[in-house]
Amino acid sequence: MSSTRFCEDLTAMLPRLRRFARGLTQDHADADDLCQQTIERALKARKQWQEGTRLDAWVYRIMRNQWIDEIRARTRRSQTFVHEDQGVNVGMDGDRDAENRVELANVDRALGRLPDEQREAVVLVMVEGFGYKEAAEILGIPQGTLTSRLGRGREALLRELGETA
Amino acid sequence: MSVTDEELMAFADGELSGADAARVQAAIAADPALAERLEAERKLRMALRGHLDPVADEPVPQAWTAMIAAAAREDAEDEHKVISLAAARAEKAEKAGKAAKAAREARSTARGRPFMQRWGMGIAIAASLALGLFMGTRIASGPVTQRDGALMASGLLAERLDTQLASAQGSGSVRILTSFRREGGDYCRVFASGGTSGVACKDNAGWVLERTISGGAAQQSQYRQAGSADMELMAAAQEMADGAPLDAAQEEAAKAKGWRE
Repeated sequence: MSSTRFCEDLTAMLPRLRRFARGLTQDHADADDLCQQTIERALKARKQWQEGTRLDAWVYRIMRNQWIDEIRARTRRSQTFVHEDQGVNVGMDGDRDAENRVELANVDRALGRLPDEQREAVVLVMVEGFGYKEAAEILGIPQGTLTSRLGRGREALLRELGETA
Repeated sequence: MSVTDEELMAFADGELSGADAARVQAAIAADPALAERLEAERKLRMALRGHLDPVADEPVPQAWTAMIAAAAREDAEDEHKVISLAAARAEKAEKAGKAAKAAREARSTARGRPFMQRWGMGIAIAASLALGLFMGTRIASGPVTQRDGALMASGLLAERLDTQLASAQGSGSVRILTSFRREGGDYCRVFASGGTSGVACKDNAGWVLERTISGGAAQQSQYRQAGSADMELMAAAQEMADGAPLDAAQEEAAKAKGWRE
């Protein structure tokens, strides 16, 4: 595997990578930041990629791990803020939930409401088209865990979007 | 014969084959409720893809492809260096040792830099780039002329700056790394060619070379990595730029207007 080939394949993958980023983050700017960071990481680690394994799965894994790091960092940051006004925030969340139920269900919202672990499983299999085995490897979980998260995520989406989809 | 939920979904996900798939298929054919669930799943899948697939059609930011291209060049240069070092060593061991040390240093500098923020190259550039100093000896002929003390691109270089899109890189001797606008609105382009690399900005008279890096081929393979020169230039461009680099469509539009407002 030449470096040229690696770089060509990575370049060709960028549109898909960006789609996955959007599915993970549910946000345009977050997705592009995540893409950029993923490309940086993949390039830095390019000597560690093993020939004969799937490059796309390798890069997706980098992206997903990067996103997990980001979520954790955000959670830590937000916890320091939420602490004092927790009561207020809980009230606001309740209001927002009620609003959501009234509004028309749409894919974006429904996906956004899924727990992260279900959303990533749904997006990898149903949008990105990975098989269970590859998806489980990307997420670093047993295949049984993947199918159960996928199943719960899919059920939730079907409930929410079933009539409009 | 019953089919579990999991089996039905595995079937929908293309995970079943052979006898298993046939069994589920038969069950679906015999049971309208199963067929309905499968159809709902298919619609959900289409809704998800309909929502996310358009993302893959958006033009990819040039900074990303430039970043990858820079890495590819860095690797190519590494390989080249190994060969030329071996030759040099055979000729004169001491000299080769020095070159290797220089190469290692150049490399660790390039690798150690934090690899960019939004721009593609988030390197705070401290290194002042040689402003045409190296060009002095070459001014008489070739891709550069002088006008009122400013260095101007001419000949092939000027032509490429006018016509070549960074998004559609040819295999010619001049590479365009990226295009951007600086404060005031002038269009600028980062270019690399065998003899000279730099940043050129368009004014009424032509392409003024704002920054240049000497890069004679021989010099480059021994003392400077193409990759690190590119990164230096991208960093310089980032400093000069007002906003993000042009994407493919913006570049095309700018070219159509002759790189002038």
